[in-house]
Amino acid sequence: MKHYAVKRLLQLIPILFAITFLSYGMMRLAGSDVVEQKMENTSGTVSQEMIDAAREELGLDKPFVIQYVTWLGKLARGDMGVSYVSHKPVFSTFVSKLPATLLLAFVSILLTVVVSIPLGIWSAVNQNKAADYVIRTASFIGNSLPNFFVSLLLMYFFAIRLNWFPVISRGVSLQSVALPAFTLAIAMSAKYLRQVRATVLDELSKDYVLGAKARGVKFSTTMLNSVMKASLVTIITLLTLSIGSLLGGTAIVESIFMWDGVGKMAVDAINMRDYPIIQAYVMWMAIIYVLVNLITDVSYRYLDPRIRLGGTEQ
Amino acid sequence: MKKILAILLMLCIAAGILSGCGGGNTPAASGKKKIFVFGDTTFNAENEEPDINPHNAYSGWPCVRYGVGETLMKIADDGTLKPWLAKSATNVNETTWEIVMKDGVRFSNGKKCDAAAVKACFEHLIKVHERAAGNLKIASMKADGQKLTIVTKEPNPILMNYLSEAYGCIIDMETGIPKNGCVVGTGPFVATEVVTDNHVKLVKNANYWDGKVKVDEVTVRTISNGDTLAMALQSGEINAAYGMAYASYPLFENDKFKFSSIQTSRCFWGMVNFHKENPGYRIMSDPAVRKAIAMGINKKGFVDVLLKGYGYTATGAFPDSFAFGKGVSTVSYDPEQAKKILQDAGWVDTNGDGIREKDGVKLSIRWLTYPSRQELPLLAESAQATLKDIGIEVQINNTKSHNTVRKDPKAWDIWVSANVNAGLGDPQNFFDTYCLDSSIKNSGGHHSDNLEKLAVQLRSAFDPGERAKIAVKMQQELLDDNSYFFCSFLRMSMIMQANVTGLTAHTCDFYELTADLDIK
Amino acid sequence: MNRPVTIRVQKVKKNRIRTRLFIFLFLAVVLVLVSFFADQIVPYDPYAQNLSLSRQPPSAAHFMGTDQYGRDVFSRVVVGAKASVFSTLILVCVTSVFGTLVGTLCGYFGRGIDSVVMRISDVCLAFPGLVFALAIAALLGGGMSNAVIALAVISWPKYARVARGQTLALKNSDFVAAARLAGDNSVQMIQRHILPNILGPILVTAMLDIGTMMMELAGLSFLGLGAQPPMAEWGNMMSGGRSMLQTYPWLVLSPGVAIFLTVVTFNLLGDTVRDYMDPKTTTL
Repeated sequence: MKHYAVKRLLQLIPILFAITFLSYGMMRLAGSDVVEQKMENTSGTVSQEMIDAAREELGLDKPFVIQYVTWLGKLARGDMGVSYVSHKPVFSTFVSKLPATLLLAFVSILLTVVVSIPLGIWSAVNQNKAADYVIRTASFIGNSLPNFFVSLLLMYFFAIRLNWFPVISRGVSLQSVALPAFTLAIAMSAKYLRQVRATVLDELSKDYVLGAKARGVKFSTTMLNSVMKASLVTIITLLTLSIGSLLGGTAIVESIFMWDGVGKMAVDAINMRDYPIIQAYVMWMAIIYVLVNLITDVSYRYLDPRIRLGGTEQ
Repeated sequence: MKKILAILLMLCIAAGILSGCGGGNTPAASGKKKIFVFGDTTFNAENEEPDINPHNAYSGWPCVRYGVGETLMKIADDGTLKPWLAKSATNVNETTWEIVMKDGVRFSNGKKCDAAAVKACFEHLIKVHERAAGNLKIASMKADGQKLTIVTKEPNPILMNYLSEAYGCIIDMETGIPKNGCVVGTGPFVATEVVTDNHVKLVKNANYWDGKVKVDEVTVRTISNGDTLAMALQSGEINAAYGMAYASYPLFENDKFKFSSIQTSRCFWGMVNFHKENPGYRIMSDPAVRKAIAMGINKKGFVDVLLKGYGYTATGAFPDSFAFGKGVSTVSYDPEQAKKILQDAGWVDTNGDGIREKDGVKLSIRWLTYPSRQELPLLAESAQATLKDIGIEVQINNTKSHNTVRKDPKAWDIWVSANVNAGLGDPQNFFDTYCLDSSIKNSGGHHSDNLEKLAVQLRSAFDPGERAKIAVKMQQELLDDNSYFFCSFLRMSMIMQANVTGLTAHTCDFYELTADLDIK
Repeated sequence: MNRPVTIRVQKVKKNRIRTRLFIFLFLAVVLVLVSFFADQIVPYDPYAQNLSLSRQPPSAAHFMGTDQYGRDVFSRVVVGAKASVFSTLILVCVTSVFGTLVGTLCGYFGRGIDSVVMRISDVCLAFPGLVFALAIAALLGGGMSNAVIALAVISWPKYARVARGQTLALKNSDFVAAARLAGDNSVQMIQRHILPNILGPILVTAMLDIGTMMMELAGLSFLGLGAQPPMAEWGNMMSGGRSMLQTYPWLVLSPGVAIFLTVVTFNLLGDTVRDYMDPKTTTL
């Protein structure tokens, strides 16, 4: 197991190279740069000399490959550089925004799990009854609404009409995270719910459930032991897919609610061509991706002895 | 099982409600203290406003806007200069100015703000701020009590206008630039906390030299998203907002809110590309085409309908509230006449597709603009439709990288942008930037001998009346051959709760929070 | 339950599923046809501006009201279907076909090809989608085709993985071994035995993906990266009308409802296809 994990982690290195090179390249090809963007915002009229000086200061006048190699070199020494926009160190900026994204991710996942597992099971157990239809319809709706729409609706109803939550976040707090987390949770729950339901139905139709019932084992025990375990596997699979995007910060939702997380930081950085920040973000995403995949694989092996005891490696 | 599920669901709901309790509320008078929360869209590093230090980039703007700093002179709504910290400013000769400070001006920490303090401030400014140094061209300064004498390197008729720019805020150099960014100025408010891209916390200046400050505390919050800003004002989380999108105005057109609006010199205007290597040269160099384009744009329709009246149609480059904005004339919206002009010039629709041609060249123009000013895409689409009616095809290139595109002389035919054309109450900057051979942003390559001559005259004219006359002539030069056209001016509004007083919009939007600000 | 009853119940289930399949397939086809003939069936020119009629609420003359330029919203929504539905279908087709082929080859041949392609797909997956889409938009300009390209590059690994997994499972099965004994070469193997058997799950994945991809495309247009004005597309219509949610809600709700109904239809279709393929997990 350990050998496998180490091997996977080592794969991270070539991936990081490829990704940072690609992102640097694409940003350069995308044209414009931070000096121009700033000028744009302030509609300032500065002389060409000042523009050139500003570019030179940031090293933007050198060819692309040299810039990339310079950045790599600094990275090797542990220096992630400074933001072109705010002139503050990239690493500390990034780390300061991370808690917000982590909190949002955590609360969203919590809400999702708390909503989708009970409802999914309820729906499966009451298959084809009214409750099932209601829940499935709600799930469909949740799955079919774009998240930018949902966030606006939530904001309108809960922040303005009912005044339960603040519109603009007041720092990283539970109060402020509620609406953005709800937005994300709605879409995620809709997806998860259907999967949980399908898994539970699948399990329920299995022979051992009939057998247990026949033997007089209480239904709830059967549920808790085996069915839940099966649902957990499903949930974990889904979480793998979601966590990448959650930890990358869901940019749209973060921007709309002014949630000062990593996603919003990334979008702003891309708009302003703030390369050092973009590179940091891209690396972060790659690391999450590899780590999460690794953890999933490992937990699979742990949870499902069939794989552990000798199946084909994926 | 069902019990477990029921309990889980209840816990969910309870958690939801508890976490939500006491959400948005109005920060009005809590106890005896008056706290004012102001929503602003531009206080962030992207707009070069990382803090409130006037000697840093564009941070002079928040410094003066939020009442921390004040300048020697103030730019009035008609574009003239009025005394603020200075009692008077006279120019002794072409390169020497004598400025007399008002008596009793003090910084918020109690120190006197006399000529020596101002000198120290300006010395630091021109040392670290390249743009200011380039504008001011100060050679030397002398301070004597309340009198400050400034000698410039070359004649600078608008020195006082430049000193009224936000970077000219007078701050206490003995305190200097503290680590927390809270510079000390003479204004009605004192900054206690500055967080880039987020907020500024201010308290009232108990030592304010110019009256009593009515509000105790102010928080300025950066809200870059327009919808969020609107909702925050609606829910009462902010008392007033600057930078609201037009589309949200109807939400506040009721008794609970009020507007303070004024015409500004931010103009939505276009320039023509005259470069010979431009594939569209044959089209744009034809004066008939240019005239038809000018006649084919429905400025009034644009302002009245698309902007819902939140704008003012423009004739010249400057609003008519300014002395140099009066007395210019240009063609008006006349589609029938425009069609005739094109027809007479040989542009005829031969193949029935609705677009005219001449000598095999299709009358199609590339309109370059950008999205960050909401009016520009609206203007582009409006023009596209009205110009189509007279047989001109418009291809819109609405891109954030417009600055890159406009530098390529082959890539566009008309560049439409938004610019504050007389931000300092003076017309010179506009011509210097956009219309002359030496201009940085004369991307269309426009050249006029007459204009160059007039520009030289303008640069040495010290009398405001004379400057106005020359500026009018220069605008007419641009308008007569339709190489530039000006569509409308921004109507700037600050929206506030009905019980807020003392918050007034000004033509020059340096001035927002003042001692008069009050919440009833 | 007794065995005979089970069989009968399964038969009834299958019939019901088939009925639903036809219904949803019919609805989906209607949507596609509407997109196809959009230009012909709209009551007004979706791009004709009429400033005097701007921002009218829904009425008899304008079923969904008018937007800020006075354009008929209903016509724009119908024409928007063309952009949204077609682009999504093209996107899903291209990614599923490409992804399936690549995945099958990987799964079948393994070794070198497998590791290289899997590493490439890792890079595609690890690269944050939004950054990539923004970069492509900045690079190639906005527009639906570029948005589709951006999403395609990000989405193909999904199909590749499914195909690969299925192929691997099949590779070791009996009938494949038998075919190999019978002398089939690789191409024939893939063509005759593997592809037909993995098509089921692939099809299901693709159908279920349509809804998601449609919303992703709308999301990109919402951010200004996909369809450019004045092109009518549901995402950018919602984006354009978003500030007016409280004042002129029909501007946002009309395209929103359109997206919603379309996505729901394709989701239901996808679900039914899945049920049809595997009645055990039916969600009757």
